[in-house]
Amino acid sequence: MALYAISYDEVDALADFTRAHDVTFPLLSDPDSEIIERFGILNTIIDPDDHPWYGIPFPGAYVLDADGTIVTKFFESSLQFRPSADQLLRAALGDDIHLPPMPAARGESVGYDVIFDGDLLRAGVLHDLVVRFAVPEGQHLYGEPVPDGMVATTVEIEPDLGLVVRPAIFPPTVPHTLAGTGETLRIFDGDVVIRIPVTQLSRSLTPLDDGSFVQRIGGTVRWQACDDDTCHLPRSDHFSIDVPAAPHHRPEAELVDPNGMDMPAHLTKMVARRTDKSLGQVLFEITGHDA
Amino acid sequence: MPFAKLHESGQWEDEYGGLGPAKPGLASRQDPVGEFPTGPAIGERFPDVIATAQDGVALDVHRHRADRATVFVFYRSAVW
Repeated sequence: MALYAISYDEVDALADFTRAHDVTFPLLSDPDSEIIERFGILNTIIDPDDHPWYGIPFPGAYVLDADGTIVTKFFESSLQFRPSADQLLRAALGDDIHLPPMPAARGESVGYDVIFDGDLLRAGVLHDLVVRFAVPEGQHLYGEPVPDGMVATTVEIEPDLGLVVRPAIFPPTVPHTLAGTGETLRIFDGDVVIRIPVTQLSRSLTPLDDGSFVQRIGGTVRWQACDDDTCHLPRSDHFSIDVPAAPHHRPEAELVDPNGMDMPAHLTKMVARRTDKSLGQVLFEITGHDA
Repeated sequence: MPFAKLHESGQWEDEYGGLGPAKPGLASRQDPVGEFPTGPAIGERFPDVIATAQDGVALDVHRHRADRATVFVFYRSAVW
């Protein structure tokens, strides 16, 4: 696969960043934000006279297939949240990487598991919680909407002040006509894999004896399995999973220059390219403190 | 103005607990509320992009990626 990243930085800043971090993929320079603007994702909330901040995009990522068609987009309204490399790789390369084998169906009954797609849930970085239903041959599960008396396949995550949960991503459904009534419903074809993007805010982590942390994620899954003739009773089950987690970085834990480059020099150039203000003046203004 | 709390470190904390020198609502910490534009739609061909890379050489993204699946990231800045 190929990876590119673009920003409104100058080429020499990107070259310094590349040296500092051994970057092996192209970093593209869009110093006038011409490409950002052409894509229609310029952050227009920032005032055009607000230098050097004006010119950044609403941050996001596009995933393309081999033909160059956009197959997925990841955009977040806040810079505090971003997709994980695992999510991007999954979107680009498909579902067959990383995950363990599907759970087995339990005889004639549906089996399910809940796994965390990643190694570590960092604050603000989104990973997928994956709920996988193994559906016995000849049976199917239902997608929304369903008529009264039937249960669609759902996953509900328990509210937690330290947890950020994005809408679940379901596989596509196919139409299915009931033999008895002739009614057409939407069903999932075979096994069902549901992805729920989650991240944490370091507000409800559980410390472990070894100094590490976990984020506990609880929820409820519901489903109803049917074959062409009969339906099983609806099922509901509670799950709880402890995900390895890393708390917010705090200033005291960070390097003096986290970008590993001469940040003041580059920032000075960025300011000077569009305004006569000094770097100190610009930095003072963003703190919101009174003069 | 969005939630902003002065942290003991001297930095500003936002509603999610994130810290930064800029007060939420200023500089890059001006986030859209509700819907915001996300560019070309899923299903569309990714637009042509020709831009200078860190080696100083212009790069045509579609030509360079050839027929590989691709992740293309728009980010804030490598500097700050």
